[in-house]
Amino acid sequence: MTTQPHSRKRVCYYYDSDIGNYYYGQGHPMKPHRIRMTHNLLLNYGLYRKMEIYRPHKATAEEMTKFHSDDYIRFLRSIRPDNMAEYNKQMQRFNVGEDCPVFDGLYEFCQLSAGGSVAAAVKLNKQASEICINWGGGLHHAKKSEASGFCYVNDIVLGILELLKYHQRVLYIDIDVHHGDGVEEAFYTTDRVMTVSFHKYGEYFPGTGDLRDIGAGKGKYYAVNIPLRDGMDDESYESIFVPIISKVMETFQPSAVVLQCGADSLTGDRLGCFNLTVKGHGKCVEFVKKYNLPFMMVGGGGYTIRNVSRAWTYETSVALGVDIANELPYNDYFEYFGPDFKLHISPSNMANQNTQEYLEKIKTRLFENLRMLPHAPGVQVQAIPEDAINEESDNDDKADKDERLPQKELDKRIVPDNEFSDSEDEGEGGRRDNRSYKNRKRPRLDKTTESKEEEKPKEEVKSEKSEESSKTSSDDTTTDTG
Amino acid sequence: MTANMYRVGDYVYFETSSTFPYQIRRIEELNKTPSGNVEAKVMCFYRRRDLPSQLIQLADKHQCALDETNGSPKSDVSLCSDQLGPKQRHQMKHRELFLSRQVETLPATHIRGKCSVTLFNETEALSSYLNKDDMFFYCLVYDPTQKTLLADKGEIRVGSRYQCDIQQLLRDGESDGRELAETEALVWTPNHNLSDRQIDQVLVVSRSVGTFARALDCSSSVKQPSLHMSAAAASRDITLFHAMDTLHRHEYDLANAMCSLVPSSGPVLCRDEMEEWSASEANLFEEALDKYGKDFNDIRNDFLPWKTLKNIIEYYYMWKTTDRYVQQKRVKAVEAESKLKQVYIPNYNKPNSAALNNNKGVLNGNSNGTGADPAVALGTKACESCNVTSSTQWYAWALPHMQCRVCEQCWAYWKKYGGLKMPTRFGDSVDFDGSAKKRSGSDIEDDKGMGHRPHRCNIGGCAKEFKLKAHLGRHYATAHGIAVRAGSPRPVMKTRTAFYLLTTPLTRLSRRLCRHLMKPKHAARCPSYVINLQAVKQECAVQMANKTHEELQQLLLYCKRNRGSVTAIATRLGTLLPDAATPQWLLLTNKTLLPQPDVVAFPKPPKAPDGSLMYERVPNKPDADKIPVNNMSPSLKRRAYEEMNGIDSSCLNAPPAKRMSKEPMPISRHPVASSALPGTGPLAGNTALSSNADQYQMMMAAAVQAHTPAGLSGPMPRQVAQVNGKPKIAQMTRSGSGRKQVISWMDAPDDLYFKATEHSKKIRRQISSVELRRAARKPWRYFKTRLDEPPVVVLD
Repeated sequence: MTTQPHSRKRVCYYYDSDIGNYYYGQGHPMKPHRIRMTHNLLLNYGLYRKMEIYRPHKATAEEMTKFHSDDYIRFLRSIRPDNMAEYNKQMQRFNVGEDCPVFDGLYEFCQLSAGGSVAAAVKLNKQASEICINWGGGLHHAKKSEASGFCYVNDIVLGILELLKYHQRVLYIDIDVHHGDGVEEAFYTTDRVMTVSFHKYGEYFPGTGDLRDIGAGKGKYYAVNIPLRDGMDDESYESIFVPIISKVMETFQPSAVVLQCGADSLTGDRLGCFNLTVKGHGKCVEFVKKYNLPFMMVGGGGYTIRNVSRAWTYETSVALGVDIANELPYNDYFEYFGPDFKLHISPSNMANQNTQEYLEKIKTRLFENLRMLPHAPGVQVQAIPEDAINEESDNDDKADKDERLPQKELDKRIVPDNEFSDSEDEGEGGRRDNRSYKNRKRPRLDKTTESKEEEKPKEEVKSEKSEESSKTSSDDTTTDTG
Repeated sequence: MTANMYRVGDYVYFETSSTFPYQIRRIEELNKTPSGNVEAKVMCFYRRRDLPSQLIQLADKHQCALDETNGSPKSDVSLCSDQLGPKQRHQMKHRELFLSRQVETLPATHIRGKCSVTLFNETEALSSYLNKDDMFFYCLVYDPTQKTLLADKGEIRVGSRYQCDIQQLLRDGESDGRELAETEALVWTPNHNLSDRQIDQVLVVSRSVGTFARALDCSSSVKQPSLHMSAAAASRDITLFHAMDTLHRHEYDLANAMCSLVPSSGPVLCRDEMEEWSASEANLFEEALDKYGKDFNDIRNDFLPWKTLKNIIEYYYMWKTTDRYVQQKRVKAVEAESKLKQVYIPNYNKPNSAALNNNKGVLNGNSNGTGADPAVALGTKACESCNVTSSTQWYAWALPHMQCRVCEQCWAYWKKYGGLKMPTRFGDSVDFDGSAKKRSGSDIEDDKGMGHRPHRCNIGGCAKEFKLKAHLGRHYATAHGIAVRAGSPRPVMKTRTAFYLLTTPLTRLSRRLCRHLMKPKHAARCPSYVINLQAVKQECAVQMANKTHEELQQLLLYCKRNRGSVTAIATRLGTLLPDAATPQWLLLTNKTLLPQPDVVAFPKPPKAPDGSLMYERVPNKPDADKIPVNNMSPSLKRRAYEEMNGIDSSCLNAPPAKRMSKEPMPISRHPVASSALPGTGPLAGNTALSSNADQYQMMMAAAVQAHTPAGLSGPMPRQVAQVNGKPKIAQMTRSGSGRKQVISWMDAPDDLYFKATEHSKKIRRQISSVELRRAARKPWRYFKTRLDEPPVVVLD
């Protein structure tokens, strides 16, 4: 599958102004307020005005029972803090009480969170948007008839079910520090959804997500689990995320992607034990976005709320393809971000218990599993080298398309000799570059993305790798010729 | 340095016994005890040798299964079972640990280094652990109380009750009947003709309108007396969101949108919870937060029933941005100081008691002499583990009479991994308990020996066995109520089960009759005093024989001795005081007589007309440094509590008190001349009850005087100001439901209301300010007014 540099996308964002006022209870780490903090940051960063903002509908019981069992939803609808005593037995059965307390407006909260994800999926189905964001969603632990890990209604499953009406294969990626067990379980036996979860494993909630859990029945090999240890840092995370997602994209070839952006994998999280920064976390979004597939981003965990809102704000900006300043703008909750009041955070000095060797082993094992997929090409596939993220790409967007292109841009577009394409600047002087063939990689084009991106034919020609190679080979030319 | 820094979450070696291998623990918490020591709350990992034998078999079986699943020829994992030599297989067993959910507390000074414990992943070669020092792995979880060994793993369940039904892919052109209009409502779209700059302008206009609206609004102008405050309030996000919504509603038409900001009813005013709340409501909230924590339901029910839960939650999150919250957090931070993040433990280098000093005191000299004897005997023996014959230091291994010794390296290995490098003639699990030495209950204090021998409870008839001494200790404490100190100084005693002693009539009789034998007073003071029960029984029998039934019954009746009430005693003792005059050395030296410094480094600032000191305001450092983002003026940066919360009209001068009772009560027990008070007949000479209002006013007058000696020219004292406070606090209010609710005063002491009468004022004037001040400092002191009447003490 082809990746593309940053490009402006049509982004839809789902938010209900009530969501911040739901309160799980005293001492409970889950705080819906973080979604409001994100929202206020988005407004003051000026990102709000760059996307379509929607207030989602409240998901109906009928919608929720597309996945959940009827009696479970009926229970959620009727339970209140003041009638809890009457529901003792059911509370046990549905695992409501301790981690998942009964709080005021519980059902409404579930409705809003699920409503957002369903609305986002419908939007993608209608092709009315390219990226949909619902930070109120991402409650990936909820089971068919059981609450778990602060999650009651699994908005992700409901969203994916909606997507499956129009998409043969949907990819679900989970970068929460906890295993996405609810989603994995829901789609454990189907080959239409591949669930990929990166999580801390071992003596950690929810206890599932072993490397050996690969799905069952028709869904065998369609569950991918990446068990990690404490202290994952940006570098390690990227070194495992990029090759695995590349491989998954290549073999599974989904037509839509759902990314759960649980922010408890950030450094300093109250419950998490990874050491990611906002940048490292956002890189995952950046990477997935480049595949230009209908893309749904949902929230998830995240219990140090100032960092959660930082990460989700940054990730919204990544989705929009807009750079934002490191200085946080003033907003109602500005004081939460002291003492530095910056967007980006620095990792702690905790030890990374994931050795390169360990990650390499896991990767090899997962690649072996992915080879079993029917989509997998018969030939041996090499891992795509980790050059897929291009830091320079932002500049493309800044150049005004009506103006003459700056020389830098023109230089980038030099077409290799063996490239036969009808690029629009062909014939502008017939320039061909004479660099060596060594570093050359053919820019690969995907038919589907080409047709979709017709309004921006300029950017299309260059894919990631041609740029990368033109950069490196420009050095070569000097040495070769000189 | 960093090597000796131990943080929460680190895996560490703990030494609880010098001759035993280290224990492996993970630090969960580090707490500073009042005595300054650091205690570590740790999660226990068990070694193979700590497991009961039947479980070891289970662990072995699991190991085999693990090997088989990994036996795929391609992966290098298969190394672990087949290609490992017997030596490696032996050593591998030392690297396997068993996680337990048990938590214990150990002194942090017993930490002896870091190690690393990871959940075993089947992609890894076992040998990778052997090659690195201090690396352990675990797969299974050991429950020491249930004696079970389980895999630490959840499961994904399969079945129609867990998976979802997936709808077929729709065919081309087929619709699912979903309408976007049903699932979402557009609030903002970027597809409009406005430039960024124009949107910014609208935002500025809306803020300006908001500022103006606040100027017009009565309640706002009281809360935000300065323009800055109004502007800050008008710049809150709610105004901005409203402006964006307005723009969208008017289809991004600037003119229409701006016009709608100033409808005929006046400029639009958007206020969020932060602004909506009055200062008194805010105070109530803080008080409630103090009392209930963040239980907002309770807070609402008992303190702020006129607010909705959502109001309160929204307010709470905004309140957290104020400096009030920071203050509270500081208080909490002080409390949390005992919780440490990391601790520095220097390398431990005291000689080990098992070290043999056969090297003629070169290295460790005469440690403590325990090793002396075996050292002689062991003279020529080779290392039990690696057969080396020369080492800088030898250690006695196993029991003395077995005369085994190990070299320095092997000793370190033994301490860390709990075994010898090589399988020995004793086998692996034999270790120290090969001896036939009988273990009686009395030698539980003995630390040495007995690796696997269970610790048996030696209380008669109990004989329960325990794996660890700590467990035995706990058993002693809980079951038998005996505190046995285990190796660690951790208090093993838990709360004892409560007991109830039911005395029989005979017992009670014997107590009365044999008082001389039992010496109850003495026994109460010395619990270890032994009462000779035989003698008591005999004596009792003899005495009882002499008594009639009636007499005995009389003895059994309990009669309380009347010593009078504590109050009476206190009062009686109090009356003695005036006789003892205050000694000279207790009187304060006159200020003018005190030595004066030549230079005053920090002279007092000038006094304001009201007597208060006028300090120059020094801006906070961060205030000045911060650069405004979002075209805010710097003055809007930090919210002072008052700024955000507003000031109530009633008390512009002083912060309103939450309740008057918060102030210390100088009035109680304050003797005041009360001669002229009608109807206060001195009770018991000097005690009168303040049921009389007039008298109470007296007290208040004295109190007020004591506070503001200059009279009432200064700010209104709190008690008085509160009377004018918002009616909400003190009165009945109606919540939305129309239900009457009493706002509770909680634990307030009796409320006081003071009204000065002509008479009390007169008396007050007669008291010199020096006298008053002294009286305030020494409430117990009598002081005489010119009227010189019998004093009155008022008890509250």
